[in-house]
Amino acid sequence: MDTAVHLDGITKRFPGVVANDDVDLAVERGTVHALLGENGAGKTTLMNVLYGLYEPTSGRVLVDGAERRFDSPRDAIDAGIGMIHQHFMLVDPMTVTENITLGNEPTKWGGLAVDRAAARDAVVDLSERYGFDVDPDARIEDVSVGEQQRVEILKALYRGADVLILDEPTAVLTPQEVEELFEVLEELTAQGKTIIFITHKLGEAMRAADEITVLRDGRNVGTVEADGTNREDLAELMVGREVLLDVDRPPAETGDVVAAASNLAVEDDRGVRVVDDVSFDVREGEVFGIAGVDGNGQSELIEALTGLTSPEAGRIEFLGEDITGSSRRQRIESGMAYIPQDRQERGLVMNFDLVENALLGSQHSPELGPNGRIDWPATRDHAESIIEEYDVRPPNPDSTSESLSGGNQQKFIVGREFSREPELVVAAHPTRGVDVGSIEFIHERLLELRKEGVAIVLISSKLEEVQGLSDRLAVMYEGEFIDVVDPAGTTEEELGLLMAGERPDEDAPDQAGQSAAHTESTDAPNGGEHA
Amino acid sequence: MSEASEETEPASETEFLERYSMRVMTAGVTVAAVLALLVGGWLFPDTIVGTFADVISSENTLSAALRLSVPIAFAALGGIFSEKSGVINIGLEGLLIISAFTAIYVTEVTGGVWIGFGGGVLASTLLALLFAIVTIEFRADQIIAGLAVWLIALGLAPFASQVIYGGPNTPTVPTPGAISVPVLADIPFFGALFSASPSVYLLFVAVGLSWYVFERTTFGRWVRASGENPKALDTAGVSVARVRYAAVLLSGVLAGMGGSALSLDLGQFTGNGPTMVNGKGFIAIVAYLFGNYNPIGAFLSTMLFAGLDAMQTVLQLQGIGIPRQLIRITPFVVVIIVLALVGRTRIPEAAGEHYESGEE
Repeated sequence: MDTAVHLDGITKRFPGVVANDDVDLAVERGTVHALLGENGAGKTTLMNVLYGLYEPTSGRVLVDGAERRFDSPRDAIDAGIGMIHQHFMLVDPMTVTENITLGNEPTKWGGLAVDRAAARDAVVDLSERYGFDVDPDARIEDVSVGEQQRVEILKALYRGADVLILDEPTAVLTPQEVEELFEVLEELTAQGKTIIFITHKLGEAMRAADEITVLRDGRNVGTVEADGTNREDLAELMVGREVLLDVDRPPAETGDVVAAASNLAVEDDRGVRVVDDVSFDVREGEVFGIAGVDGNGQSELIEALTGLTSPEAGRIEFLGEDITGSSRRQRIESGMAYIPQDRQERGLVMNFDLVENALLGSQHSPELGPNGRIDWPATRDHAESIIEEYDVRPPNPDSTSESLSGGNQQKFIVGREFSREPELVVAAHPTRGVDVGSIEFIHERLLELRKEGVAIVLISSKLEEVQGLSDRLAVMYEGEFIDVVDPAGTTEEELGLLMAGERPDEDAPDQAGQSAAHTESTDAPNGGEHA
Repeated sequence: MSEASEETEPASETEFLERYSMRVMTAGVTVAAVLALLVGGWLFPDTIVGTFADVISSENTLSAALRLSVPIAFAALGGIFSEKSGVINIGLEGLLIISAFTAIYVTEVTGGVWIGFGGGVLASTLLALLFAIVTIEFRADQIIAGLAVWLIALGLAPFASQVIYGGPNTPTVPTPGAISVPVLADIPFFGALFSASPSVYLLFVAVGLSWYVFERTTFGRWVRASGENPKALDTAGVSVARVRYAAVLLSGVLAGMGGSALSLDLGQFTGNGPTMVNGKGFIAIVAYLFGNYNPIGAFLSTMLFAGLDAMQTVLQLQGIGIPRQLIRITPFVVVIIVLALVGRTRIPEAAGEHYESGEE
């Protein structure tokens, strides 16, 4: 095997996070290699190491069999590696040719002028050679996103790249443009180029790649031939099935409906419908889990529920009242707690201390923020009680939240949210990036709340977590609830199939009766009958 | 592809009109007003219109406008380099002040006007270097640092003059004197272009060179990319910090030439109140914004502003008083209209933002 790029035991640590943990990756020349994994699995970090943007904490980078050390992208470019970033690195008011040649402009008159004719010719030659459709004189701001991407690829080729890294290249493309991109990739590999293609979409990895490497939590959990695998196996690799932490979970004693969503639809910034006609309810003393591969609309669903975005259509009820149009503050005050999925972005203000962070969300409450004035001594007491009860370390309310480890940050958020005495807890990936001890602790607290009759909506991409904690489990795929199942009566294989988008009524015709019941429950999931 | 370009063409045409309509209108209105005055003046030479026409068509007005333009246009060119690279340099006023004083001081000490000119440029460049280090290396806020540059110079130059000469105004030194191009200088009206201080010729060269650098050289492209999308430049393997340092230093050199020319052409530095620079650095910012970051556009808008100022001076002499203050606010009124109401000046995308390589 002719290896173009070999990453040997790459470990990359950031303060408090291990982004890559001893990752090996070998990419054969002239192939498309997909790097598959969920958001935050460490795919982009790994490629930034290869591209010289990050220096690995340990491990070796070998290009064409020789060990290389890249201090900057310039070194990587010189070694024949090109990267097409998720956000294009293009200068909008400049032309296609100017962008492609930027930093490597051909010159004349001893460097006193850019040789514009030569630059244009080079671009035309390159695009003809690889069958690209680009207008060398168009300004970037006037061309389509697909063309911008081709410009990015040409930019790398112009610099002599033999290995092209594409970071989530399909995220911004229309389906037609995706197909065009895949054709471009075929043409490139046919001419001997090597492609590494980062994605979290199973289908695209299967469609475009020769080999697929799956990353999970910064580790390489398997490299497979695209032809010798299937979607279910890949989904399982991506999501993993670590040892199921033993959760002592008494049967649910459910009461009244606390929150209900009906026919909810949410659009993202691009106007794409990412949550489509979703209905569910959650009762007192019940954990309603939502499983699925990241990026299938779970985040948007949660944001609509908690009031961070407004839905395009549908209705949300909370404690019997229509809250579809009510503000975040109203939702907090009426008893909705939220553990956000990105704790550093949404859960904490990183350079505030814990006292100030304890106040967040309670700044209007009569206890901490009476009459528009902040009661700092009371807030400090509140922070101290969270720290003590949730075992936050170091136990110092004056330390900033950025000085805490991920697990302790999360415990602090969980403590703050639970101390609101909520009626409903919306928990998004509550244990992502958290150490095992804290995971167990957070799980116990969630179940305690459940016992007290609090309703809980839990999203997680960790199968064992949603399966172990939920009383009912919805599986989300491309914005829809593909099914709502009883987690205890469903195997991981079955869940994996659902997460990969296999509708229960599409396969196994002999189980038609059961599938119909599932489908029905998707439409009108008022059901304790599943549990 | 042909289809696509057909589709985009009308769009870009309207865009072009939108982008330039305000400028085209301003230019059109200016030309029309001038023509109307000239025709009116020719028909009724004894009225106030006639006086206006005399003033506009007078060679003195043009030569005064050129003289007034020099410091503003040089500073504007400097501002273009700096801001195009992503560093908003509102300290141009300070660079003008420090170079205006230093040029006189060095001339007075050495006796050489051109040595003095070089000294002024050097002082301005050093102050720009300080500004560059603070904003690029230490990531200080560009606006605050720019104000600091102005205030430092505003305090330092008159203070130095006080210490050295015992007053805010320096003694006078010899001026470089005008250079006349034979024959061409005798052309009516436009002859003013060919009988001027060396700094005017230097300005013509600087405007042309700046345009060339932006449009034709690799450095110019890097400066543009650095101000629009520094990350693109960085991933292309060009150091953004180096490009920005070079651009800010260049703004120091250019503003220094403007400041030195300002004081040397008069032979003295006056340091009372806002000093002899008196807001020219700020008008320079207005000029390059109005000129849409194009060196030639900036020069023409400078000529417009300076032309108004020159007319006002001449009119004053003829007994038709338009308050000087009113003329002086014209550039600012114009820029507010251009920026706020029409908003077609395209400010570099990343202007004012810090950039650090490897930041995710």
